[in-house]
Amino acid sequence: MSPAARVLIVDRSRESRDVLGSLLARRGAEVLEARGAERGAQIAADQYPDLIVVDAEASAAEGDGDAAARLAAAAARNACPIVVLGTFRRSATPFGTEQFVAKPYHYGALIRRIEELLGGRP
Amino acid sequence: MASLFVIQGRDQGSRFHLEDAVHTIGRTHTHSIRLHDTEVSRNHAELVRRGDTYTVRDLGSSNGTFVNGKPVTEYELSSGDQVQVGRSLLLYTGFVDDRVEDLAGKVDIVPLAGGAEDDGSRIVASMGQQTGGSEWLMPDAKGSSNPWLAKARSNLQIMYRTALAVSHTMDIDQLLARIMDLIFDWVEADRGCIMLKDLETGKLTPKVRRHRRGVRSDEKMSISKTILDYVVDQNEGVLTSNARDDSRWDPAQSIVSLGVREAICVPMQGRYEVVGVIYIDTAVTPQKALAAKGANQFTEEHLRLMIAIAHQAALAVEDTSYYKALVQAERLAAVGQTIASLSHHIKNILQGVRGGSYLIELGLGDHDEATKGEDRDEGAAQKAVDTIRKGWGIVERNQERISALVLDMLTFSKEREPEPQPSNLNELASEVVDLMTSRAEEQSVELLWRPAQNMPTLMFDPEALHRAILNVVTNAIDACDEKEDARVIVTSQYDDVAKVARVVVEDNGAGIAPDDVEAIFSVFVSRKGGRGTGLGLPVTRKILEEHGGQVRVDSTVGRGSRFTLELPATPTPPEGEAPARMTQAFLAGDMPSSAPAS
Repeated sequence: MSPAARVLIVDRSRESRDVLGSLLARRGAEVLEARGAERGAQIAADQYPDLIVVDAEASAAEGDGDAAARLAAAAARNACPIVVLGTFRRSATPFGTEQFVAKPYHYGALIRRIEELLGGRP
Repeated sequence: MASLFVIQGRDQGSRFHLEDAVHTIGRTHTHSIRLHDTEVSRNHAELVRRGDTYTVRDLGSSNGTFVNGKPVTEYELSSGDQVQVGRSLLLYTGFVDDRVEDLAGKVDIVPLAGGAEDDGSRIVASMGQQTGGSEWLMPDAKGSSNPWLAKARSNLQIMYRTALAVSHTMDIDQLLARIMDLIFDWVEADRGCIMLKDLETGKLTPKVRRHRRGVRSDEKMSISKTILDYVVDQNEGVLTSNARDDSRWDPAQSIVSLGVREAICVPMQGRYEVVGVIYIDTAVTPQKALAAKGANQFTEEHLRLMIAIAHQAALAVEDTSYYKALVQAERLAAVGQTIASLSHHIKNILQGVRGGSYLIELGLGDHDEATKGEDRDEGAAQKAVDTIRKGWGIVERNQERISALVLDMLTFSKEREPEPQPSNLNELASEVVDLMTSRAEEQSVELLWRPAQNMPTLMFDPEALHRAILNVVTNAIDACDEKEDARVIVTSQYDDVAKVARVVVEDNGAGIAPDDVEAIFSVFVSRKGGRGTGLGLPVTRKILEEHGGQVRVDSTVGRGSRFTLELPATPTPPEGEAPARMTQAFLAGDMPSSAPAS
């Protein structure tokens, strides 16, 4: 993983953010965190992450599909890939063409997936 | 009044009354039909009234609107239609009841005696349903000379008895046995059988079999498939007599080889389909045929009546099986919902365990790396231990979550009587506060405890109350997540006049919208996303109610919530007197005369 990779984690669970955050940090990534899609959209617009990992529940739980749509739009503007955790059905999230990882996932596999996506960035 | 009733989804059980010109369906509070369903669009669909009907129209929702399983853009609803939006399924009921009410207004019930509107009616005769009807239909004791009238009476009587048999039981086998009995009372058949169609395979299965006395009953009963097929396919009853002469039967077919002389076979035609057949037959011996002087044993009148009886029986069979299917479907839906939400929670906990154990695994690897060989890297080793510790903390927390889930499940499912013992509510609440302090710190929430000074020792189940308070405090801390200056205050109060003890848990967190206040007590409704089990508050309420108490909620969105657990104060029994349960145990002992050991 290139050292400057910047990854935004959007997840309601502090614990999940912690785990994934420390795993990515070990690999030299700079980790940004947001609890909800609303805040996530802001960070995505301001700080241009290279990749966004979003928990499906974080986008659904706020009861506001707009925030998730804004997050998706901000990601699209920067050509930033999104990995959605924990859903099988595309129709259930506002994120269209992104990567989906069903829960419960293994962290090893998730990290490999993230590294692959980051490896392909310009 | 017309209505939409939610039969599936998070709002299950809610009924929305429809009377306005337009009702809108959506996820936000601006809609008259608001669904707490993330797959429902903000503005999903609308219902437009035209006279006494409503038309549902999709408002360009992302997941679409479905009526009876088919996607629609506009659809005029009639009673019984099922409207699906997102994951919610709603049952539409039209304006039928109104008409009934109008009719009721046109019928006056006036007091019989003394009133000004008394029309002078008096009761001349009365008859109960149980006793009256069938006696009335019995042939005259004086012996009516009119054979037509006698026959009509006997026919009417058998229909009456069929109706009674049908109305008195929900058990299909018992019902069919009764029907068969009364057919045998009425007609001289040798053998009879009722067969029901298997709903899935369509195959006819015998349910009841009867033989007239004197006919060998151990003999296997063979029924011509030719007849059965004809009856079911054509949905017609048949009377067969000397099958060789009947052009409808090909002599090569089984009816001839079985040698059936006379039979009646009728379809059990219900409201929707043929549910089975009733078959009776009689073997006509040459002597019998001579005695009858060529007349048939079974007549067309028998056939007509059999068709009527079979229809009655079919209606009952249909009602019973539809009712059973409905109950079964409801049960399955509830079980499915339970399993879905439990697996969701367990999945989240499992995810946490995986995260923690992955950190431990990494830490162990790092540690091995750091301590390997000659030059031991103390800094890296320490860092590895920190990683392991962090992972272990996460595993432990999730272990607590799963044990809390199991305890909540047990408390909720068990019909458990509280086991009251002298306890102090202050001690209990303070224990909970101690237990939750580290978690509160972790989430940067200030947790304050203000015990009442005058709290007496009371009778309650300390274990259950511990659970009840813990669930509410956990929620309060979670509600403050990511909030500046977050604060949870736990207060105990004792009202000596009202004899009520209270534990009040206040937070300055997110608050609960008024519409959601009732929903938070519904099982498996969690507003905490992946962290909640949807069992915490239902369990708290159950425990308090088992103690004769209650849970009250005051909440303002954005300002926080206050949960009050109210417990009626049951004082402890006076000193020296054994608690009630122990006394009982002693009285039930073998030697009531012996003095207690103490």
